[in-house]
Amino acid sequence: MGENQDIPDFSDLTCTNLMIRLKMPLKKTPPDSAVEIIVRRDQRDTIEGPFSRTGYDVKIHRIDTNLFRIRLQKQDTGADN
Amino acid sequence: MAGCPRKESAHHRNTARYYFKKCMFMTTHFFLLGSPLTQERLSWIEESLKFFFVKMYPEMLRHHGKPHDNVFTFLINGDALYSLHEPETQKIWEIILLLPSVRIICDRQELDLRGISVEQLKMKYPDQVIDHNSMSLNGQTSFWRDVVKIARQHEQPVPSTIGYFHLESPYMHRSSLSAVQCLAAALEVQAGIELYAYMDGIHIGHLGQSPTEYDNIGKGLEDLAELAAKRNLHCHMFACTRCAAARGYSTWDDGQGIVISTCTIKPFKIRNLNEMIARFGRNHLILGENVASIQLKRKAQPITLAEPDKGHMPPVTIFITRFPYGTEYAFGALSFAIACAHNGILTRVIFIEEGVYSVAGTHQLSRDAQCFNLQEVIDVIAGSENLHLYVFQPSLQRRGISKNKKMTAVLDIGVAELGQLFFNPPQGIQANHQRILFF
Repeated sequence: MGENQDIPDFSDLTCTNLMIRLKMPLKKTPPDSAVEIIVRRDQRDTIEGPFSRTGYDVKIHRIDTNLFRIRLQKQDTGADN
Repeated sequence: MAGCPRKESAHHRNTARYYFKKCMFMTTHFFLLGSPLTQERLSWIEESLKFFFVKMYPEMLRHHGKPHDNVFTFLINGDALYSLHEPETQKIWEIILLLPSVRIICDRQELDLRGISVEQLKMKYPDQVIDHNSMSLNGQTSFWRDVVKIARQHEQPVPSTIGYFHLESPYMHRSSLSAVQCLAAALEVQAGIELYAYMDGIHIGHLGQSPTEYDNIGKGLEDLAELAAKRNLHCHMFACTRCAAARGYSTWDDGQGIVISTCTIKPFKIRNLNEMIARFGRNHLILGENVASIQLKRKAQPITLAEPDKGHMPPVTIFITRFPYGTEYAFGALSFAIACAHNGILTRVIFIEEGVYSVAGTHQLSRDAQCFNLQEVIDVIAGSENLHLYVFQPSLQRRGISKNKKMTAVLDIGVAELGQLFFNPPQGIQANHQRILFF
């Protein structure tokens, strides 16, 4: 868990509050940076589908039986190509 | 219509009666209102109805169109009944009743309890103001029997389920009794029942309720669950996890969505809000203290047990009508809207009446505050899939305030746009009705 100590732990949040708390840093983060959080299994499911569908690259790493580290980053839309 | 010459009224009323009789069993839109009905609220409802008739169905006003199946029913109970008697709201009701195919059904028992007379309105509109209710199976008249009859018309051949969205605590609020009575009436017509308890509404399921001067709401719910089981009808009673945890109900959490409480009655299940919202994605009717249902011009969808696809989920319009911060209503409404949108339901949030203070001025929270800054929440949810935010300009103007210029994601709307949101089916939506929830 040492490598995760600076990552915000959202595992106590209910689903809607999680969405709000997560969207706040996502809104402020530049497109080339990622946001990482720690969540429970049910919260992982809440995040994975909707954010993948709406243009985010979602990476999930299991860190404990019921704890996951999620990394979200805006996908490169290829607009520069 | 407000400016119609007086001499036209009788002719207009006769036409309205004609349509009303023709359409007795074709109710398509209804408002179920139980909280005090202010002049402001009734006025914007009146304006929306005028939009419907003037802009969408002018042939009904011209009296020579074909009989129509568009009927508005106002189901009035609780403190909303006072609006039928108070002069300032009564005159708005009179204008509403001049419109074609409008009727009011009053809760007789609640009228009697309050000693309110609706004779004055009834004398003028005898066919449109109904103050006697249908007979229930127990031999007593029941307003909720009438409500459920209307609900039956929404789904064909009959509704499989009737839901009730409950926001208030028992004993402090009489609406808890309405919830029990409504669900009891649903069981009488062989519909399955679902209760969705949210915010203070979760107290309705507290264990060990023992009122001395009031119907025992907890016992009422347990009896409903038992009766449903006997009749082989389904019965679900959900309470929102967030609301339950805040109020000390969540005594054990498996971390995967199952919360067990030692202080709730047995039928009551504390569940993630998403689980409750998933039920809103189905096409059954969901009633509540202050709700409405607007029929969309689509073919009724058969009830299936399969998961509904997104186009068939009834869209939800949420009116935020109360001041922010003083109560949980504004945040609870936003939170509920986010969850609906997140689950694929087209969700519109309209800040109206006192709710416009959520988007006015600049809100600032101290650093250590635990609650959300609502404007910050609105800012981050803006642009979310399936979620649209609006503020009703006349409510801002009435209060002499303006929208915070930075809140560009909240669109300004007037009466015409409100009418369109009410009555025009949103693009890509195949659902047969739209849910309206007042917070």
